[in-house]
Amino acid sequence: MTWWIRPLVRLLAAVALPLAVPALVTAALWVLPGDPAEIICPPGICTGKEVLSARWGLDRGPTGFYSTWMAHALQGDFGNSWRVAQGMDVSELVAESLPATAQVVGIALIPLVLGMVGAVLGLVPRRADPFWQFIGLMPSVILALAGAAFIQIQYGALSFDGFPGFLRLLFAALVLGLSDGALADAIVGTRGTFDEEYKQRYAQISILRGESMLGNALPNVLPALIGQLRARVVHVVSGTVVVEVVLGVPGLGELLWAGTLLQDFAVVLAAAWAYALLSGALLLVQALAEIAVAVWVRSAPAVEVA
Amino acid sequence: MKRLSRWPALALAGSMLVVLATLAVVAPDFASTPDLSARYLTPLESPPFGRDERGIPLLDYAAQGAAIVLLPALAAGLLTATAATLAGLVRCAGLDGVDSALQVGGELLGSLPRLVVILVVALLLPPGWRNLLPIALAWAVLAAPGAMDEAAATAARLGGARFVEALRAHGFSALRIQLYHVIWLNLRPVLVRQAAEVAMQVVFLEIALSYLAVSRNEPSFTHADSTYSWATLLYLGYTAALGQPLWHALFVGLLLVAVVAVFARSTRAAARAR
Repeated sequence: MTWWIRPLVRLLAAVALPLAVPALVTAALWVLPGDPAEIICPPGICTGKEVLSARWGLDRGPTGFYSTWMAHALQGDFGNSWRVAQGMDVSELVAESLPATAQVVGIALIPLVLGMVGAVLGLVPRRADPFWQFIGLMPSVILALAGAAFIQIQYGALSFDGFPGFLRLLFAALVLGLSDGALADAIVGTRGTFDEEYKQRYAQISILRGESMLGNALPNVLPALIGQLRARVVHVVSGTVVVEVVLGVPGLGELLWAGTLLQDFAVVLAAAWAYALLSGALLLVQALAEIAVAVWVRSAPAVEVA
Repeated sequence: MKRLSRWPALALAGSMLVVLATLAVVAPDFASTPDLSARYLTPLESPPFGRDERGIPLLDYAAQGAAIVLLPALAAGLLTATAATLAGLVRCAGLDGVDSALQVGGELLGSLPRLVVILVVALLLPPGWRNLLPIALAWAVLAAPGAMDEAAATAARLGGARFVEALRAHGFSALRIQLYHVIWLNLRPVLVRQAAEVAMQVVFLEIALSYLAVSRNEPSFTHADSTYSWATLLYLGYTAALGQPLWHALFVGLLLVAVVAVFARSTRAAARAR
């Protein structure tokens, strides 16, 4: 396969993702039985169906709704929340919740990246793998529960602000970094990728030439490692929904959960779109990194055949 | 970790499945009537699992929880395995166009944060459809790209279309090659492992979603209000950490989680490649 096909597919996917998520939601609204306006604004939960239909183009069919919603979203207008925080601008709610989620995800990635680097450099012993795998068997909800109970016992009702609040954030990151096999996969997956590459003839010949295997294998392994890292970031981002709610971290995950539970469609669609944008950005970074690695490898000086 | 040998692993996986299936079969439609004279009874005082703060046997929760998760989890595992089989067969058949389309689709689908999609699905489901099955199937679809990728890579390592061609030269029929040589002998470890993992993930997903609903005193997306999920046991366990005498509920909840994890791991061990 030509080297640029995979990065190109990722670039296209990065662009398509933020367009595809609202499109899929729109399709689902019109495929499911019932009036789309009533799915968005269930009778008994919210009023003003007609006004809502006119505002979001629901009365103009799926294309009308999709184009209206996208046009508003591109200007940062997601409408007002009707149940999570009644009347409040959804874009404000999203903007307020983003920093907490960014901190949780950022801290959660530290053990994962350290695990990957440690596995490559041989700093994490192979005999410790069962330990990481055992920890990874724990579902995130259970580890998060343990953390929530600990903080609640230690700090009581005032455990959401100040240092206890930060502790909640730290626990959330730790849970995401350890549970559901996150750290175990980072260590074992990275090491496995290198083990496979070290079996290659060129890598073994590098020892005879007095060079390091790592230095020779790294450029070839880098695209796979970048792909693994992106998958791990997506996994961590996805996990924020559960962990933030259990630990009471006021992030995007908690906002999305509250929106789903209270059937606040405006909040859910905006939060889902924010997640889609983030995923698209990660794909973009992966594609650019793959292109950079390919250019780096191809710009190496050619060795003349003796 | 010392690897389990194949037959004991199979026996262990079978035993765990029997435990779960038995619990699901004996699950009552409605939990027992509260009996305040039997509050907080321990497993020794009210076998097998004791009672909660309303005197309801924890066995009811365990059984109803098993009934909620068993079939959707197995269906999700089956769907993922089917998708992976398809990807493996496509790679072996040398259908490059279909293969590329599957990879592009997988790339898009695999980029979505799964829990976010699940919540959107849960929001869009009409009230009458709210149970675990559609959510489990949506999870299986989201997990499928990873499984398909691995199955296709396994098929490619075999030699793809050249492997099939070589076997045909030996006189084997196309059906036998696909079903026996490709799927049974080569793809099986990948398919079974992926299916078992997705089934386990669906159970944990149900626990997580129900726990979040229970903790906020809201109805769950995954089951009717009249039934209880294993999340209830974990929630009772959480209250034990805060001072309620319900440690036995936490123990039962964790035990059930362990049963599912052991089922998934031993299934994986039983199906691993020689």
